[in-house]
Amino acid sequence: MAYQVLARKWRPKNFAQLVGQEHVIRAIANAFTSERLHHAYLLTGTRGVGKTTIARIMAKALNCETGITAEPCGVCSACTQIDSGRFVDLLEIDAASNTGIDNIREVLDNAQYAPTTGRFKVYIIDEVHMLSKSAFNAMLKTLEEPPGHVKFILATTDPQKVPITVLSRCLQFSLRQMTPQQVAGHLHHVLTQEGIPFEPNSLNLLGHAAHGSMRDALSLLDQAIAYGAGSVEEAGVRAMLGAVDQSYLFDILAALIAKDGAQLMVAADSIASRGLSYEAALHELAHLLHLVAVAQQVPGAIADDLPARDNILSVAQALSPEDTQLYYQIALHGRRDLPLAPDEYAGFTMTLLRMLAFAPAQPGQVTLSQPTPVAANPAPVARPTAQPPQATPVQVPPAAEAAAPDAPAETNLPWAQEAPAETSAPRDFDGNWRGLVSQLKLGAAGMLAQHAEVSAYDADSISLRVAAEHRAVATRDYQEKLKDALAAHFGKPVALKVEISEAVADTPAAQNQRERAARQLEAEDSIQNDPTVQALVRDFGATVVPDSIKPL
Amino acid sequence: MTHSFYPWLAPSWKQLVRGWERLPHALLITGEPGIGKRRLAEFLAQYLLCEARKPDHTPCGECDGCRWFLAGNHPDFRLLTPEDQSDAGEGEEAKTKRKLPLIKVEGIRELVDFVNLTPHRGGSKVVLVEPAEAMNTSAANAFLKMLEEPPQGVTFILVSHHWRRLLPTIRSRCRVFPVPTPAAAVAADWLAGHGVVNPVQHLAHTGGAPLAALDDARAEWLPLRTAFLGHIANPAALDVLGVAAELEKAKLDTGLVVDWLQKWVHDLIALGLSGRIRYYPDWRDDLARLASRAGNLLGFLDGLKESRRLAHHPLNQRLVFESLLFGYLEALRGKPRGTGHG
Repeated sequence: MAYQVLARKWRPKNFAQLVGQEHVIRAIANAFTSERLHHAYLLTGTRGVGKTTIARIMAKALNCETGITAEPCGVCSACTQIDSGRFVDLLEIDAASNTGIDNIREVLDNAQYAPTTGRFKVYIIDEVHMLSKSAFNAMLKTLEEPPGHVKFILATTDPQKVPITVLSRCLQFSLRQMTPQQVAGHLHHVLTQEGIPFEPNSLNLLGHAAHGSMRDALSLLDQAIAYGAGSVEEAGVRAMLGAVDQSYLFDILAALIAKDGAQLMVAADSIASRGLSYEAALHELAHLLHLVAVAQQVPGAIADDLPARDNILSVAQALSPEDTQLYYQIALHGRRDLPLAPDEYAGFTMTLLRMLAFAPAQPGQVTLSQPTPVAANPAPVARPTAQPPQATPVQVPPAAEAAAPDAPAETNLPWAQEAPAETSAPRDFDGNWRGLVSQLKLGAAGMLAQHAEVSAYDADSISLRVAAEHRAVATRDYQEKLKDALAAHFGKPVALKVEISEAVADTPAAQNQRERAARQLEAEDSIQNDPTVQALVRDFGATVVPDSIKPL
Repeated sequence: MTHSFYPWLAPSWKQLVRGWERLPHALLITGEPGIGKRRLAEFLAQYLLCEARKPDHTPCGECDGCRWFLAGNHPDFRLLTPEDQSDAGEGEEAKTKRKLPLIKVEGIRELVDFVNLTPHRGGSKVVLVEPAEAMNTSAANAFLKMLEEPPQGVTFILVSHHWRRLLPTIRSRCRVFPVPTPAAAVAADWLAGHGVVNPVQHLAHTGGAPLAALDDARAEWLPLRTAFLGHIANPAALDVLGVAAELEKAKLDTGLVVDWLQKWVHDLIALGLSGRIRYYPDWRDDLARLASRAGNLLGFLDGLKESRRLAHHPLNQRLVFESLLFGYLEALRGKPRGTGHG
């Protein structure tokens, strides 16, 4: 059983074979050619983009017997030994298994000794994000100024977990995810070399399914070869990936638009009966809804060569933008919650049913007893679009004309109804200070108004008295505000005089207080005179807690 | 053991054998719980370790390798399961049961030695990890290097119910081998052959997984579930505190009860909106009675998901059950609690 999986067999042996990391390779290759070597490198990127591979090639490039070079020969003893993993001066450390400070100390203790056969002692520390904090700190001094014969190459998927003190000591290269085209191109190369028949379209599918990782792609390719019994065919790959044919998704959307629950489940079942992956289905559905949303907002942005273009445009017509957003959200959440459902089928169907249930239903065809919060959304959204054409004629005439009671155009505007109410307010103060105060919008100056009593007034001026104990609210600021509010209310400037006096009784606050006290007394009376309460007090020795009585 | 190979696994086995010369060093077997993935993995392990494989692609069952394997002490086989660690505290079983079963990093570290030494029998070495998602973060990370490039002749078999919970770095190193859920007829026949009285119904309870259905049919808690469903089918007469106390007394796993309730609510909603029942066809009448209020339950379903996530936490069981049941009642009354919609 000497079979080696493709990902291992096709691990690149030199920079030229690497796919997709030109930006990193160029920097490294130039540095090696001009022998400007840094002593610590950090390679980051997601799974399967070539971190470990680049680290090994760098080790070869540093130790190749032809000299430090960007193109290791691959035939000298150093290169072959590194390829077969038995070069004494290359220490590949699995930081995830050796997380502790003791492990690192052991490794670093040996750093001071000169390399045995090679030019450099190369430490490849893989999965470096798993090192403990103390292990990282133990590394710092050596990492900063290692002996001349030591090179560190750190690799991790998760640079966020690496302390900044380590990051700053390393030359960091972040590897990119591969594009589906790059992946497909490489798979094409591998399959041709392996002599395995394939259909080019299947490689595109695999390229997309790999989500930017070459190792994922090669693992999937292995699976596809096993699945197709020695050949890679599009139908087989589609079946293997559970890739969802978009026609199912359009069925689902059609059922959602038609609000047909039974039809929706039929569409879901057709996905199930074909053994398609529910997660992929939700993913594709979210993707499709994204396209629909784009089609609704920017119709021109949908590429002409998209196979489902007409379908997308027709869905974009039939579905409201709010629904599209909502469905998109639900699809995303559903995908996240899939592992928490009783099983995947249930999670998937429940996500679809949720879309159905939260669809803004029209009155009359509601199947649910309760309107959802989302259902209320379209109405407020619709209003701003309707307003501008009507608002323009109203804004041109002065406010006085707008107050005319029989202007028919304005009656349906929400603010037009307020205008007459405001202007019909009394032009002059009638002495009812409390009533006036309750009509004014005062904010903090309300405190002043509440604690003031009218001592004298005429058409253009009002004199107020404020009790000495409330002197604090009678500041100039509040007076100004009150004056402004009065001016706005009466539509003319009003002179305001405020004096501090000893005895002030008739302020709105005091009136409120008196009324509350009266109501409280009344309430207490009614409790005390209540026959049931009296019976309780008499028969059970109950007591009434007076403070707990509150007027209704 | 060869004789008890489940009938529905035969196609999967055939598929594995067909690509035999391309068998990878790391295989990830995925599928719904309770469909015999572990059995398939063990069968594969035995076949790998067998020293006189039969021409029909089954292990012989007679050589040293097979006999050792069947006796559970083959020196070139390692099984990594969370139970390894939990059997230490047998005395306080009630306590350990609530703990989230995990494969810890020590287990993986011991593997390093096993993997790197030459095999005892000169053949292959097999490591079976089940379930793979039970590895905690550090265990999974420590596993990575080993999994990527093991020495010649080492095969890793990972079994996973929820492969999405695996680290992407683990997933990318394995070849995925999905095991399909068996067809209902095959599974029902098999269950009937094992003396299950009402196979179709039990299959429905478990969403079609035959082994889980067998457990379902033989479980001690079966009457408890019937009683529980009976209670929640009559929300008007539901005595929340009493039912919660009863459930707590039965010392059931929180996750199990959440699962019952989740399936029940799922059925309610599905019936109300699309006229389908998946899990409890035997309760159709009760479900139909409540289904008109199904739309209110979507919010409650979110709460249930949260409880499922927390099912392994050492929360007070009775309080959890009470809060779930009160939530259920409130949701039926049309007052969904303020959980996020959509």
